[in-house]
Amino acid sequence: MKIEDVVCPFCGCLCDDLVVEVEGTKVVNVENGCTLANEKFMGDHRLNAPIRRAGEGWEEVSYNEAIEETAAILLDADRPLLYGWSGTFGEAQSVGVHLAELLGAVIDNTSTVCHGPSIMAIQEVGHPGCTLGQVKNRADVVVYWAANPIEAHPRHMSRYTTFCDGFFVKSAFRERKVIVVDVRETDSSQVADEFVKVNPGGDYAVLSALRAIVRGKRDLIPLSVEGVSREQLFRVADLCMSAKFGAIFFGVGLTMAQGKYKNIRNAIELTEELNRHTKFTISPMRGHWNVYGSNEVFTWITGYPYAVDFARGIAFYNPGETTSVDVLRRGECDACLVVASDPGAHFPRACAEHLAHIPTVQIDPHVNATTHLSRIQIPVAVTGIDAEGTAYRMDGVPIRTRRLFFGNYPDDLEVLEKIYRIVREARG
Amino acid sequence: MAGILIKNAFVIDPLSGIKGEVMDIAINNGKIVEEAPSGAEVIDAAGCLTLPGGIDSHSHVCGTKVNFGRYMSPEDMRAGRTARKGVMHVTSGYSVPTTFGNSYRYSTMGYTTILEGAMAPLEARHTHEEFTATPHQDMLANTLFDGNWSIMEAVREKDTRRAAAVVAWVLAAAKGFAIKLTNPGGTEAWGWGEDVQSVHDPVPKFGVTPAEIISTMIRANEILNLPHSVHLHCNNLGVPGNYQTTLDTIDLAPDLNSERQSLYLTHVQFHSYGGSTWRDICSKSEDITRAVNNRPQVVMDMGQIMFGRTTTMTADGPMEFKLYMLHHNKWSNHDVELETGSGIIPVYYGRKSLVNCVMWSIGLELALLTRNPWQCLLSTDSPNGAPFVKYPEIIALLMSRRFRENERRMIDPRTEHFVPLFAIERELDWYEIAVMTRAAQAKALGITRIGKGYLAPGAEADVAIFPLRPDNVDPSVDYQQVMAGFSRTRYTIKRGRVVARDGEVVVEGANSTIWTKAHVPDAYDMGLDPEFRKKFEQYYTVRMTNYPVQDVYLPRGVRIETEAQL
Amino acid sequence: MRVILKTRPREKPRVPIEAEEIIPQNFLRKDDITVFLGNKERSLDDLFFVTIEGPAVSPDQVEVVLTGDTGVIKRVGEYMNAGRIIIEGDIGMHCGNFMSAGEIIIRGNADSWLGREMRGGRILCEGNAGHYCAAGYRGEKRGMRGGMVEVKGNAGDFAAEYLSGGEVVIHGNCGDLAGVEMRGGTLVIGGDCARPCGNMTGGTCMVFGKASQFLPTFRANGSQEVEYAGKRYRMNLFRGDVANRGKGTLMVRA
Repeated sequence: MKIEDVVCPFCGCLCDDLVVEVEGTKVVNVENGCTLANEKFMGDHRLNAPIRRAGEGWEEVSYNEAIEETAAILLDADRPLLYGWSGTFGEAQSVGVHLAELLGAVIDNTSTVCHGPSIMAIQEVGHPGCTLGQVKNRADVVVYWAANPIEAHPRHMSRYTTFCDGFFVKSAFRERKVIVVDVRETDSSQVADEFVKVNPGGDYAVLSALRAIVRGKRDLIPLSVEGVSREQLFRVADLCMSAKFGAIFFGVGLTMAQGKYKNIRNAIELTEELNRHTKFTISPMRGHWNVYGSNEVFTWITGYPYAVDFARGIAFYNPGETTSVDVLRRGECDACLVVASDPGAHFPRACAEHLAHIPTVQIDPHVNATTHLSRIQIPVAVTGIDAEGTAYRMDGVPIRTRRLFFGNYPDDLEVLEKIYRIVREARG
Repeated sequence: MAGILIKNAFVIDPLSGIKGEVMDIAINNGKIVEEAPSGAEVIDAAGCLTLPGGIDSHSHVCGTKVNFGRYMSPEDMRAGRTARKGVMHVTSGYSVPTTFGNSYRYSTMGYTTILEGAMAPLEARHTHEEFTATPHQDMLANTLFDGNWSIMEAVREKDTRRAAAVVAWVLAAAKGFAIKLTNPGGTEAWGWGEDVQSVHDPVPKFGVTPAEIISTMIRANEILNLPHSVHLHCNNLGVPGNYQTTLDTIDLAPDLNSERQSLYLTHVQFHSYGGSTWRDICSKSEDITRAVNNRPQVVMDMGQIMFGRTTTMTADGPMEFKLYMLHHNKWSNHDVELETGSGIIPVYYGRKSLVNCVMWSIGLELALLTRNPWQCLLSTDSPNGAPFVKYPEIIALLMSRRFRENERRMIDPRTEHFVPLFAIERELDWYEIAVMTRAAQAKALGITRIGKGYLAPGAEADVAIFPLRPDNVDPSVDYQQVMAGFSRTRYTIKRGRVVARDGEVVVEGANSTIWTKAHVPDAYDMGLDPEFRKKFEQYYTVRMTNYPVQDVYLPRGVRIETEAQL
Repeated sequence: MRVILKTRPREKPRVPIEAEEIIPQNFLRKDDITVFLGNKERSLDDLFFVTIEGPAVSPDQVEVVLTGDTGVIKRVGEYMNAGRIIIEGDIGMHCGNFMSAGEIIIRGNADSWLGREMRGGRILCEGNAGHYCAAGYRGEKRGMRGGMVEVKGNAGDFAAEYLSGGEVVIHGNCGDLAGVEMRGGTLVIGGDCARPCGNMTGGTCMVFGKASQFLPTFRANGSQEVEYAGKRYRMNLFRGDVANRGKGTLMVRA
């Protein structure tokens, strides 16, 4: 059976034009997807049943047993951490937040290790953004700053920017200038009209210099700023100021470089400054397909997009303190539930070690690095393949992922609701 | 459900013609009935003021922009945090509370129905997700058409019927309730960093004017027989001298509907400014109310501002940028492809700011100078003018001249030279307040047809009982008591269940989402229209099949069906 | 009155304790002070050996002394408005948040957010301070507004972020972006720092060590002599940050 307009649950582009062929409970072919999408749909090797550590090895247990034990672990903890969420759908995330509320837990999503700094910057200066179609239809200047879409978001350029014609930009390739700023040459910088090579850690200074130029302070700019010549800075500023519609996209290269969120803040303030001359927008290149959804869900329930601490009953937020990497590094938490993400692969070693030291439960379809740190793993259906629910694209557009077939696994929502019911019963 | 019998209630039910009578109200199966079933719970209202559940006809509580207001404002969240308690979830936030925060606070003020003021169709799913997390009110969504390309093309072709067809398709797809125009044409111009300056200023690259968009949409609305009228946020919001634009807009409104208005103007306070700069800004409330008093086909809401800190959020992107240039705090903007825009900035309205004092006066003047309370509804455009928790204070100001005089001493003394407020003697009475906070909303939104806004048998059993005895409270003197009374009901009853008591929510909510389905002939079904489909796939970034909001997002959807005259 | 709080041994010593009720005025009128250990509320006696010596009639006669394993205790002195707190060892995050008067002395190191959004009073940290020393609340436009924070050792990144009033003195080194978003008040850095005062719009910052990665958006504005720790130094003056409105003063030792 061929299914059209399938939504891809891989990256923040959330492409919704895939054609997927299904035989029984197996995907046999994917059209329109990038290589990452193909791998996600075709290379899907699941864990068969819930497993629990037994001595040196593992034993299979029933779903009910795994769920009851998970609830007991969480109820027993003084500082439980519920981490992940970016790889599942909104309805499940929502139950997760209510679970955290009941438990007095810290709940955090993968923003912690990707665009958390972008959120912190937005909380200081706001976010002049737009949906991706606005860029596709209007932009004549596109800037990728410390982002390499060809590798990380393979269809970003062809669906929304460089290679995508729009209503007011009939021939994107000819009419649209692309500027790439990065510390090294990348596949993406190869297709740029202007490549700006910045010294590592130099983004903040370059952004400050561009802001000063846009404010008319050219006289102050030294011959070179962090490896970028004054001439090139002037040229880039002029390109931006003469654009009819400019769009900046930035990646984790900027959020994780020295200065972190202050880099993003500086980029946003550059965008605001440019809006006094023309139209400019800025957008983070969100990684996980539904990390933005986890930010949205967390926000409407708790008021904060990530790193929410319910220890005191009320919601408390303070990145650097309530972010999971920090909670783990300080060895604070005494139990952890990981849902739909792989901190074992992405967290610093000290954090992974702490996860192995405390009772950690993972809810995830696949065996991954976190499995090796866990006591229990509960396999679930894969959202976008045999489970469905709401996802938010990197620009905030909500799209419902599709279930392609009914498989044999419960989805995240079912498992979490069962845990929630047990905890609620216990907490009254 | 065993039913409820409310005894000794001092009832004001304007739609049923009850202007203040002590009587009993019987409830069964979620409806008002003639006689309570046996075994009904008895509530002794003891002569307290009893009104139909409150209806907010313009508030920003759910959706992309509202949530972004939360997302960007941890400093707002730290005010107003409550822990989980009983059935109540955690809440955070003052001006943009979390969804449960909104729902609980509205509920304890007796509100049972809220219209979200602005929903971009492309992001409708988000609004509906938050609706289900706002469980104590029935929700409706104004759907944005101000910069809709298909609409503007139909307007350019002078094809009102096609415009109507587009509206029908989009409302059904977005599960929206009514047509909202926010700065029509201006939000598209903002796609290029521009704006429109008057109703006759053409929209860049589309060659249509706001006036043409407004006129076409008013007619399209009536072709579709939609329950509500066009809901309009005029051009030039917040600009000194903008009252002329507002008067020009009012002139565009024909009288096409015998049941309700043909044009609803929202947050008119922000659109009633004289002068030419921030230095000489003055009130033009008299001009605006004169126009409205002469045109029964127009209804407005106040858009009152109240002093203090809040967050402004609107689809009017260019306006928010102008405001940012004044405040320099922080600014978010979110343009939505082919449809609309939006912007958010935090603001502080100060008693020491003459401009803010003039704005504060204008909102009150609109309510006091509009002769017919059915034509001027109470609102703050929450949270733009103030968070809705300020409604009780506004009610008290409208009911008490003494309160207004006391406030006069607290604000910038120059204010009185720029506004007529302090010459106005009128004090609104209980009946007028009941009209302005529920009955007129139900009529203006056209939802009396589904039992909203009144307490006669057959109506939805949404009831608010306030700890106020009109026989021994003199609002013009006891305004503090009025304020306290409207802040916290003794009982809020939603669809026949007591949901809140004395400021606390006592059950888990189960709201409905009300939306409109206009049936059109196949020839006008845009889902089948090749031109519409082609442009959709070419210019949107989502596929047309993934665009409509699935039924699963409206677990208790209430569909109002209409037949289009096409 | 002198209140001595000595920590009892804890089963999970790294689970943080939140103790905003530990402020001098509470010991005058409350005998039911509670703190949170993780997500559990506990009485003060559960976690501390409490000794009270002598009387007091007003909060400024109260001195609270914390000893033992105090490094994970957060919020001590939050909203304090009188009296004195002495911490014999290290202290956890948010010590002295929003304090308006009184004195806090920390003999060891202070974790991050020492004196966050402080309004008045004095904090002395004899060891090192963590990140965001004397900084602001997330999303708020003004950080510390008054009072004095003095750190004998080093401070982490973002020291005095959003400083709007009062004085912050770090005798050692600062990390990255000290004085970032600064808009008022005075920041003195005795040692080295990197990228001081990014995006500052007001206030004065003096750096008596080296300022590395100096930002390109500061305008040289002559020099002057300034006294620090009993010695006079010739300082280069800069105005900035011109990426923003550029009304701040940055001085760096010549």
